Amino acid sequence: MGHLTHDEFFTSLTSLFTTSKSSPKGSIILTQKRLSYNQPTPQPSESNDTFPDLNLASPLPLIIHATNAKSKEDRKAGKKIRLSTVVNPDDLEGFYSRYAEVCRAGMAGLKPRDRTKRKAKAKGRKKKGAVAAA
Amino acid sequence: MPYYEKSEDWLHQSSLLLQARPATTRITTRYHIKPARRATKPTKTTADDGASDPTTTTPAAKQEEQDSKPPRGHLVLKTYDPESGVTLKYKTSKAAEVGRLVSMLGNLGRRMSGLPPDPSSAGAVDEEKGGNAAAAQSQDVEMVDASASGTQTPTTAAAAAVQEKQEKAAVNAGKGKKKKGKR
Repeated sequence: MGHLTHDEFFTSLTSLFTTSKSSPKGSIILTQKRLSYNQPTPQPSESNDTFPDLNLASPLPLIIHATNAKSKEDRKAGKKIRLSTVVNPDDLEGFYSRYAEVCRAGMAGLKPRDRTKRKAKAKGRKKKGAVAAA
Repeated sequence: MPYYEKSEDWLHQSSLLLQARPATTRITTRYHIKPARRATKPTKTTADDGASDPTTTTPAAKQEEQDSKPPRGHLVLKTYDPESGVTLKYKTSKAAEVGRLVSMLGNLGRRMSGLPPDPSSAGAVDEEKGGNAAAAQSQDVEMVDASASGTQTPTTAAAAAVQEKQEKAAVNAGKGKKKKGKR
């Protein structure tokens, strides 16, 4: 499967998260790494530099993968979804702000911010104060 | 394969790993949901009720718990470098952290692509603390690569020595060394 554009990637990722919401279990795996395939990076043997990957002439793009991690029967049934997109160094900031939005909306299975504890604490303090006054 | 207690520690160590091996290190974010175990929940709620005033909004809280019962998710961030086998992990189940964690991913993404870290945000990982651990990290790389290529330029060796001095001077140095052993 080829690489998607950012818009396609985000719409597909959103639908991936929504389908995961409807089922009681499942995973979504997101990966990011430097895209060095087919890129103009010098091979270690070609240059005198000991670490050619540490001193790049120009920044390299990143590749982002997303998958629903289906395997075995589900995979055979064609339920495995894999998405990839390439992010150029100039677009990093814009991409990650959208990425954060999609992740925040999609990861609904996490614990929401717990406000009950704070309330209980405030109550406890009030009580303590009352005891001290008495 | 340690799990870090704090996301900041994970970010710090991951940025050091990326600094050393930007070409091979990858970051995986795993979001996983599974049905919650029901057996443990009721005892918890009763304990809470006992602690707090009985006339509080417990019915609402209970309903909230029931609503949130079926799926319980967690998020695992993992930085892995297949070449050296370094794995750094952080696990959370709090929704409030997601935004911050993704911005951390963005910061690390900058390092990954070869851009300088963003000075405005957490990319400028506390320099004082960072220096020592960075020394340990770079020494690691030094040794690995020296054995691989058989050459070590005098300048890098000197730099390593200087960093070693700094390491000795600082208290935090022990931290970095311990982690070295754990890997």
